[in-house]
Amino acid sequence: MNGKMNRYVFRKMARSTLTHTFLMGVAITCLFPIFWMVRCALMTNQTVFVDEGLIPHHLDFGNFARAWTEGNFAVFFLNSVVYTTCVVTGIVIISSLAAFAFSRLDFPGKNVIFYMFVAAMMIPLPGSFVPLFVLMTKLHLVNTRLGYILCMINVGLSLSILILKTFFDKMPHELEDAARIDGCSKIGIWWHMALPFARPAIAVIVIFNALNVWNEYILAFLLLDNSNLMPLQRGLMVFQGANGTNYPVLMAGLTMAAIPIIMVYLFMQKYIVKGLSGEVVG
Amino acid sequence: MRVGFAICTCIMLGALAGCSQPPRPSNKLVLWHWMTDRQSALQKLAQQYKQETGIDVDIQLFAPSEAYSQKIIAAAQADVLPDIYGILDKKSIVADFIKAGLVTDLTPAMEADGGRWKNSLFSKALADKSFWPGNIYGVPPGIYGVPIDVTNEQMLYNKKLLAKAGIKSPPQTFDEFIRDARMLRRVGITPFVSGWGELWLLDCFASNYAFNIMGPEKIFATFRGQVKYTDPDWIRVFQVFAQLRKNGVPMDGIVTKGNKYAEQDFALGRAAFAFDGSWCVNVYHEMNPNLDYGVIPPPPVSTEYPLMIWGSAGSTFVVNGQSPNKDKAIAFLKWLTAKKQQVVLARQTNNLPSNREALISTSPVLSEFAQGMDRSTHPNIWPLNEDPTVSEAFDRGLQAILIGEKTPEQVAAQVEQVKEQQMAKKREQER
Repeated sequence: MNGKMNRYVFRKMARSTLTHTFLMGVAITCLFPIFWMVRCALMTNQTVFVDEGLIPHHLDFGNFARAWTEGNFAVFFLNSVVYTTCVVTGIVIISSLAAFAFSRLDFPGKNVIFYMFVAAMMIPLPGSFVPLFVLMTKLHLVNTRLGYILCMINVGLSLSILILKTFFDKMPHELEDAARIDGCSKIGIWWHMALPFARPAIAVIVIFNALNVWNEYILAFLLLDNSNLMPLQRGLMVFQGANGTNYPVLMAGLTMAAIPIIMVYLFMQKYIVKGLSGEVVG
Repeated sequence: MRVGFAICTCIMLGALAGCSQPPRPSNKLVLWHWMTDRQSALQKLAQQYKQETGIDVDIQLFAPSEAYSQKIIAAAQADVLPDIYGILDKKSIVADFIKAGLVTDLTPAMEADGGRWKNSLFSKALADKSFWPGNIYGVPPGIYGVPIDVTNEQMLYNKKLLAKAGIKSPPQTFDEFIRDARMLRRVGITPFVSGWGELWLLDCFASNYAFNIMGPEKIFATFRGQVKYTDPDWIRVFQVFAQLRKNGVPMDGIVTKGNKYAEQDFALGRAAFAFDGSWCVNVYHEMNPNLDYGVIPPPPVSTEYPLMIWGSAGSTFVVNGQSPNKDKAIAFLKWLTAKKQQVVLARQTNNLPSNREALISTSPVLSEFAQGMDRSTHPNIWPLNEDPTVSEAFDRGLQAILIGEKTPEQVAAQVEQVKEQQMAKKREQER
């Protein structure tokens, strides 16, 4: 009995050790680039290619100040916060309304319109640059915050609608009927029932889109001329010359740019795990 | 509800139709560029220009260059190009811009005052930005771009490493170069590095020796299909690379190395010689300000023809053909390429100035680079170029020689085979 028990404990421990070793390996491969980024941010342009140690011999914290001032990060940072907040809010409101309509309402051409939205995901962003720029120019929205925000909302809608529609399809009809009997309008059902019900899916949409907007710069370059309207990623480009790159300052800038998005992820990880672990698709 | 929908539709259609007024002449010029390392210098010069003339030049930076190119294409289609901009695409795209009226012909301005402006700039750089009568693009002949700097590709040597190997002066001939490489190997120093993972740089080096061995006429005759790549002179070009390999000259992995990494190797003293463009002065300064190095043309292998290096216009601006401020934009570019401003740009950005009069004020290394401009050439100004498929086979063949996979004769035969295939295709298309 004892022998069987010992074998069971041993197998369990071995399996656990193997699993944890594998997961630690995966975690290290994920964390190492972040560690390397911070390490390089603490070096100089001369030592970054020479000092091969994991911990730099001489730490230079001045790169962070240099990145903040030379990259004009204060303005870009605020712009990125505004863009991310507005775009994510816009995407959540519009996509949840659209997904609710696709899932719960009957109207002519519903499926065609839905598949058109889904098909829009297949068009890569660079492929739509020229028509988008021409359209924004005609609408006099080039070089405006509103123009950029509208474009970015458009970019994030397809996937968000797909995720939320799948989620709303699983919502029990009985709940909706009960709410209607209690006097809820369609908007009321969306607000009081559908949105709270879809919280994990919304968390996934928030983090995916926040990440997308925070890291976006090509569309910003295309639509914005005024550097005071540019997002944070624009500041990072200052350190990438045509022929040479100031790696330590660039890494310091990247470190600062990564912190807010890591914070958002940490804050919402509970919902994200729920959303991705099956509750989104039922 | 229906009325509301109709009003919304009208507003949208009105907005889509556009109701902008045509731009009017003003005292403000807008310049778009992609050069992060030149932004502050250009901004300072723009401030100075405003003080001198009262004209405000708004210098707007859009980097990286890929995003900039996208913006230029989009802005051209939306008809919102700035007064001054640069086109980073190939010559055929520049030609399309010119034919669409988006680029001003600068020839009259260049030739005014007895050609004063034109003569102050490197002729080879201007030739790169010109279209000749009867050009294949169907563009009216003229000068369409103003280079603000020039570049050329030469060899660099690390003075300390050469001294360590007992080499007193840089090589003057290819045989001396091979001898020096052996001496460097003996003391454990890698003789040579270059970014030959990038085919254009390898092609450039090979082209230098092709000019040296057979002269331009025979090269162009080969492009026309009148001389074969199996000709003894072409075999000699391939043998240059076989000799490099045989004597252990290149750094290990040279054929997969990007130029950025090759520049790191040379800047950090991991190789004694490098083959690179004049922009490297700026790169080396960033990585290792104390690097002690000099510039020489690739050591010639023959005395029959002069060794030609590649040199051309660097960053170039054009004037928007539809700008209401065309004349002011031309005047600004004229001012920007004048000696005084070119000295400022060269000093602050470590690039070769496009104004030859500004050369006297550059650093010794840049002056050495500048000396090469007179013996420079570039595929952009050749009367004809090799078929791209043949060029690729040629460059891949050079890589195969460098890694010891093929002999010069095998590569020559292989390139000739590709050439014949391409010629046959062309003949078929012409029929």
